[in-house]
Amino acid sequence: MFITFALITLLGALGMLLQKNIIVAGLFMVVAFFGVAGLFVLLGNPVAAALQIIVYTGAIMVLVLFVIMMLNSHEEEKAQAPRSIQRWVSLVVVAALAVGSVKLVLASAGLKALGISGAAMPQAMTLQKVGMALFADHLLGFEVAGLLLLAAMIGAVALTKRNL
Amino acid sequence: MTGMDAILQGGLQGYLVVALLLFSIGLAAVLLRRTLLMQFMGVELMLNAANVALLAFARFRGGDAQAMVFYLFIIAVAACEAAVGLALVIGLYRHRDTTDSDRAASLKQ
Repeated sequence: MFITFALITLLGALGMLLQKNIIVAGLFMVVAFFGVAGLFVLLGNPVAAALQIIVYTGAIMVLVLFVIMMLNSHEEEKAQAPRSIQRWVSLVVVAALAVGSVKLVLASAGLKALGISGAAMPQAMTLQKVGMALFADHLLGFEVAGLLLLAAMIGAVALTKRNL
Repeated sequence: MTGMDAILQGGLQGYLVVALLLFSIGLAAVLLRRTLLMQFMGVELMLNAANVALLAFARFRGGDAQAMVFYLFIIAVAACEAAVGLALVIGLYRHRDTTDSDRAASLKQ
């Protein structure tokens, strides 16, 4: 099961990276987000999986696809300068980062021990536990997050309005 | 569970490897693609990779609910970033008639 959802996630993300058409790339992103939601279910966390689908595929990707269609920018524009050196350097840096960090994770003895001891205590996340932690210990953070969302909403309206 | 087994059957290291690869693909999208909307999707992918790592650690440390609280905060910030980022892309398109980040190389009109 794990390898199925991991492959859905990574192939969706890779399809997004390589796709020329931006709308198709957005749909690949939806596939990747669904794969991540499946990974959350496997982690015993259905609350996070539901939130992932509602917020990412339901809200954020719809917003992105809406803007893509509104701006009518379906294809990548032609490059002004090739910038091949920067592209190769960034490709090498990303590849080195990926290979190096994966090697580090696989070689780490502490993570291996945590994986063995943690697999013995599977505990599903429930909405009740999340609510208790959120409203008992992090009430201030919750309120600040609400304020942040309000500020972002006003900011988005102000930025897109033609003459404020 | 050895390294390869963990990847195939979903140990902690398997989830972390998926998160790292997801982060790398997102970073590659930000660095290699020129369209701002593609770069934006790369940023979303990197935020998601962080979420996968966070919740994997939470599960393997006994199902701590604190991680879910931080996951909620990350989602809230991602939603804010989506709204403001897309508004900026639309603003750029109005002024420059482009969504290519290479063509927005100067601050003046």
